[in-house]
Amino acid sequence: MSTLTLLAPGDEFTPPGLELFDAAPIISGVAWFTKPVLLALLSTIIVIGFCWSAFGSPKLVPRGVQNIGEIGYMFVRDQVARPFLGKDADRWMGLLLSMFFMVWVWNLMGVIPVVQFPVASHIAFPIVLALSVYILKIYLGVKHQGALGYFKNMMFPPGLPKPIYVLLAPIEFLSNMIIAPFTHAVRLFANMFAGHIILAFFSLVGFWFLFEKLTPLGAPLGVIGVIMTIAMTGFEMFIQFLQAFLFAMLAAMYIGNSLHADH
Amino acid sequence: MPAMSEKKIRPEDDGRDFASAAWSIPSYLLSGMILYGGAGWLLSKWTGVVAFTPIGLILGVALSVYLVYRKYGR
Amino acid sequence: MAMGILAEVTGSLGSIGYGLAAIGPGIGVGIIFGQGVQAIARQPEAYGLIRQNMLLGFVLTEALALIGLVAPFMFGQ
Repeated sequence: MSTLTLLAPGDEFTPPGLELFDAAPIISGVAWFTKPVLLALLSTIIVIGFCWSAFGSPKLVPRGVQNIGEIGYMFVRDQVARPFLGKDADRWMGLLLSMFFMVWVWNLMGVIPVVQFPVASHIAFPIVLALSVYILKIYLGVKHQGALGYFKNMMFPPGLPKPIYVLLAPIEFLSNMIIAPFTHAVRLFANMFAGHIILAFFSLVGFWFLFEKLTPLGAPLGVIGVIMTIAMTGFEMFIQFLQAFLFAMLAAMYIGNSLHADH
Repeated sequence: MPAMSEKKIRPEDDGRDFASAAWSIPSYLLSGMILYGGAGWLLSKWTGVVAFTPIGLILGVALSVYLVYRKYGR
Repeated sequence: MAMGILAEVTGSLGSIGYGLAAIGPGIGVGIIFGQGVQAIARQPEAYGLIRQNMLLGFVLTEALALIGLVAPFMFGQ
């Protein structure tokens, strides 16, 4: 609703822009404690609380929250961890489960009624996660394949004619070292950013034409705006789940590629 | 190196190979374009001939497509 | 007789250009993977061959979409 006070003076509908993402500090003295930071802290508490109540005192025949926890755990284990990590999957389940649930709760903040801000639409949050996976990937690659071996296996895959290597090795290096972490972070950021703007746009269309400036010609447009908001919210919830799954899956893929080089 | 269609792949490995291929293909295309397009752009700034930038970009695309063909398509 | 401007497009032409350029590859990639899935359903033992050709077709189509992305920079201001 704060965007409406910004456009109250005008008489024309102006679509929401980047001011949707400005974050003012909540406590006046502390400049860094803004709404996204509060939501990120809240998501951490939610994920820790959920996992603790589900897996804290596990029983052989699950009761209550443990049922849901087990569904989530088996989904991450069978779809994310096992295809890429094989036998080592159980060692990495802690990281992948936490990452999947945290990104999903971050994204869900975008459609919860009073809160309505997807945490990943501030690029710092995906960058930190992608950067930590990147550092982990390089560390594991160097530890398991040796420093020279890691880069040699990455840049010179077997089976290509020798002269082509000079041209293709830089492409492989750039793709794995620079483009991969960049797209890992930006994919999550761009999806959440665009989704938030779409939802804000259609909600504003509905509100403007039905409540601010109610005219006989504009009212159907407002109704269309409300219907589109409902449809896009459903679509957005699916995208949020998918992006969380993709983020965790790519993290597992990068870790798996470092642990055993592709032959 | 056996062709992708002839390798004996265990069912549990298969999703991994397809997923790594599918996600690395746009990344190879982008990095080839950036690398050789950027080199072409620098060259055109240095020599003043504007045509080097698109030549570098197309060369980057062609090389990336060839890389994907050799790595995943044979 | 002086000719006036009838219609004008202002703003970011690059984004309009990319939006139009992404239509073709979008349809193309959909057709490739749709037909690929259908082919796998008809003959599951040919999966390796189908997958190989799917990825080849995908890379060629995706190249066009990415060239559309950099075309504003290529063809200058």
